[in-house]
Amino acid sequence: MEPNGILIYGELNEEQEIKTVVYELLTKARELKEKIWNQAIRVCIIGPRINYEEIINKLGSYGADDVIIVSDNRLKEYNHNYHPEIFTQIAQKFPPRMILIGATLQGKEIASYTAVKLETGLTADCTDLDIGENNLLLSTRPTFGGQLTADILCSTFPQMATIQENIFKAHSIENHSVNAIYNWIDIDKIDKRINIIKSIKKIINKHDIQNSKILVSGGAGACQNNGFALIYQLAQKLKAQVCGSREAREKGFITKAQQVGQTGKIVSPDIYIAIGISGANQHLTGIKNSGKIIAVNKDKNAPIFNYSDIGIVGDLFEILPELIRSLDNIEEENDQ
Amino acid sequence: MNIVVFIKQVPDTNDVKWTPNNNIDRTKTDSIINPVDKEALEAALRLKETYNANITAITMGPSKAVEVLQEAIAMGCDNAALLCDSKFAGSDTLATSKVLAASIKEKFPDTDLIITGQSAIDGETAQTGLAVAVRLNIPFVAHVNEVIEINTNKIIVNAETETYKTVYELNMPALICINNYVFKPRLPRIDGYMKAQKYNYPAYNLYELNLGECETGIKGSPTYVSKVYRTDEKRECKFIEDLNKLARIIKEN
Repeated sequence: MEPNGILIYGELNEEQEIKTVVYELLTKARELKEKIWNQAIRVCIIGPRINYEEIINKLGSYGADDVIIVSDNRLKEYNHNYHPEIFTQIAQKFPPRMILIGATLQGKEIASYTAVKLETGLTADCTDLDIGENNLLLSTRPTFGGQLTADILCSTFPQMATIQENIFKAHSIENHSVNAIYNWIDIDKIDKRINIIKSIKKIINKHDIQNSKILVSGGAGACQNNGFALIYQLAQKLKAQVCGSREAREKGFITKAQQVGQTGKIVSPDIYIAIGISGANQHLTGIKNSGKIIAVNKDKNAPIFNYSDIGIVGDLFEILPELIRSLDNIEEENDQ
Repeated sequence: MNIVVFIKQVPDTNDVKWTPNNNIDRTKTDSIINPVDKEALEAALRLKETYNANITAITMGPSKAVEVLQEAIAMGCDNAALLCDSKFAGSDTLATSKVLAASIKEKFPDTDLIITGQSAIDGETAQTGLAVAVRLNIPFVAHVNEVIEINTNKIIVNAETETYKTVYELNMPALICINNYVFKPRLPRIDGYMKAQKYNYPAYNLYELNLGECETGIKGSPTYVSKVYRTDEKRECKFIEDLNKLARIIKEN
């Protein structure tokens, strides 16, 4: 069968809702579809036996032509044995030209597994997608610690890419018809070699840095002399969330969930305040979608200033307390 | 018990030197052992003590990559092997995983456990370890923080991601990818350095790994780079000194 279409992994969250990244990928897939002729956009859902009607209609309103559903109550939660193998089998039954998967934990695992099984190329953590020469998928990703950007093509089918969450914006369309395809796969035939003995959900800060309007972010410069204490103070004042660079994570001032950059999270706040961050490219990859970028750094030649809208050169231990006082004053004026 | 650790020599991405044309100057940029791979070695060496394990470090790369194997032996690994062939050059993840899997099949078939780092700092695709496991048809788990127990049939590990702490039980043989910043690598001892100097590093080429010419390197890699450029997302920066003004800008947003 001639490979046709763009297949997207329809990842479900714990509430059995489709994750936002799927709608982001659908929006991008519509754009790709316009450039290549006669390709269907398909979403593959692997989940429990529930009523998918609402989900199917919503996927349709973002441009899905077909929704392929494999459902079984053993698929209620992500299963390392089943999900990658089922997705691979779907990709064999409906051979696509392209496969797009959100670069989530399970998405990455499914993508790696499927690529090897289908002996095809996979470009991970892409920051953009387009159609290149010979109608091939052109995947853009930072490489070399983010210092370089590479445009990558793939000579085999399907052409696979994983894409970070929050890179593309999701837009719905009107009057788009969608088909549901229910597919049965013999789960009993899949080897079960990985067992979960127990799993504990971590208490996560519900104020996800990806949904935050203002972010106060600390880098290597803030890791000395308790600089992060000032960062937390400023964040509290602004009702902002705290995040940081890879160095801040390495030194233990922030968690992995707060790390911004290519290997951390891609953020898009209205205001990003970078404190003591020199501006390594892998970090810049994570902040380029921000509205306003404000940088505080004592080195006026720090690369971060080339990527900021507003720069303040100086010692954060002098600047942050003064800035907090200024913010206090404004609040008092407003109160009067 | 036999443990293989796959390690990689990478350019030091924290200290890149550029040519005037904005290309990476590889002659001036240092090569280092991928930092988390050193932690993978440490994870293996801790098992050596408990389970009397035999540890082999394997790397694929040019002859210069023997440097990372020297480091591995100095840290305390028992054996090392270099997978080296000009036909391996330019391998993407798919092709690299083929070479690594072949080294297990052809040269270390009685391996019980494979340990890799979660990702490399140059490519950061975090795929190669998993791809090797899929090729060898063995179970794998990523983001491992702790090996709780191993017996001849099973390995029990603790994995930690952003959202979950999970205890997994995998059938052996198995592959685990370990998280960064968990296994602080030991410093080599003097006798380790001496062993590393004397050790005779075996190198295996394409034919010795029973691979075909079209399976590896550029020929065996479906993905290819069509263009590379220095990342640039510059903005026009306005420097200000008045913090009252800054406070107002932030508040007005």
